[in-house]
Amino acid sequence: MESKFKVGDAVSVASENPTGYPRTPRYIRGKRGVIGLVHGVLENIRDHRGIHNPLYTVRFDLSEVSTCHDQDSIWVDVHEEWLSGVRQDS
Amino acid sequence: MSGKHGHKPFEGHMHDFEAHIRAVEEDLEYYRAKRFEPRIFYLIRRGVVTFSDLLNARVALKRSNQFFKPRKPQGKNIEARVRYLEEWLDEYVKGIALVSARAVEAMDMVTEDNRKERGDYDDFFRFKKKEHRGTLEERMVSLEQDLTNYQELLEVFVQALIKRGWSTRRELKESWKQLHEERPWAGGVIVAKAWTDPAFKQALLSTGREALREMGVHQGKVGKLVVVENTDKVHNVVVCTLCSCYPYDILGDTPWWYKHESYRTNIVQNPRACVKEMFQLEIPAAKEVQVYDSTSDVRYFVLPQRPAGTEGMSEEELAKLVTVDSLIGAGYALEPSQQKKAMKLGAAPESPRVRPD
Repeated sequence: MESKFKVGDAVSVASENPTGYPRTPRYIRGKRGVIGLVHGVLENIRDHRGIHNPLYTVRFDLSEVSTCHDQDSIWVDVHEEWLSGVRQDS
Repeated sequence: MSGKHGHKPFEGHMHDFEAHIRAVEEDLEYYRAKRFEPRIFYLIRRGVVTFSDLLNARVALKRSNQFFKPRKPQGKNIEARVRYLEEWLDEYVKGIALVSARAVEAMDMVTEDNRKERGDYDDFFRFKKKEHRGTLEERMVSLEQDLTNYQELLEVFVQALIKRGWSTRRELKESWKQLHEERPWAGGVIVAKAWTDPAFKQALLSTGREALREMGVHQGKVGKLVVVENTDKVHNVVVCTLCSCYPYDILGDTPWWYKHESYRTNIVQNPRACVKEMFQLEIPAAKEVQVYDSTSDVRYFVLPQRPAGTEGMSEEELAKLVTVDSLIGAGYALEPSQQKKAMKLGAAPESPRVRPD
């Protein structure tokens, strides 16, 4: 399966769980970030059944996901079905 | 010091008994309520063992056929009691690792099942953890009693596994021996090599597990490994806000605070304040803090900066400066002077090894 996004792409995270699979933290739902790392499809048979969609590490400004205004960042692993592309200038 | 396996406070030395007791309390309840007892339920649901098996095993239990060495509270003074409790907890955790591995070998079981069934995603399914109150003395007595009780259930569970033919006493003895083998802590070995060998460091940062494989580091298969490097400009911190994912197959036991709700919540809300409050770590304003919130598919650890004043030190000496905290971003690697001090006070870098799935 090809990864849809590349490093640097602006993305937003779905607000609602698209597949019923819970492994995306609530505090980034509906938030915008930038693709930081592209992992692709990872095999992890001891961990879960079946194959998950491609995985990304998405970089969020701390101020996007919390009330703290430090110039820091939170990098979160998110599977592809949670992400949609965002136009960079929007 | 006995707390080799991660049951230690994130601050304070042995003279800070309260911090040590708190660490034991937190870890003990974690392993009972998140690891062991949900596992029993898992197996009961699927008929691998039954409540009757456990009851029968308890009735048939004699001193002479016990698998684990029975323990009683020990220690003439507070320090000796605390150390003994840490050792006891360590045996309990190893015991869970032993039976967990055995009980699931023949089953189609994945870690994701555990996370669901023990309530990582839904509070509704959680096992309630005990609250600890009272004076230090009362809390120690309570821990001694809890460990006695919890250890008894573990013993009964092992007996039931043997009785049902899921394992033999001999196999279990062999695994038990392996769980006690002393090995240098991989965390220290890996970081020291990365500090002294630029080609290895490059490989570690770009290929993760592959670089470790070439180095001959013992590792399992718990997801992809990503190593993030601390520099003058970036300070990395690792967390798993959904559960407690950690590269335990390489680094051993997860420190108790890493699994604690307060760390998992606060570190992504206000990272600087969180590490300052919990670890007295003030990250310079000139550095960007990057917090990595992992999933089970990718496990992270931090490559800390090499401390000043370590020129000319051997890899073996350097490895001793590497603490578990520094691999999570909750601290820096020790400077040589700090290490000497820490050794003296009996709070040397931890060298954890074992953790049940």
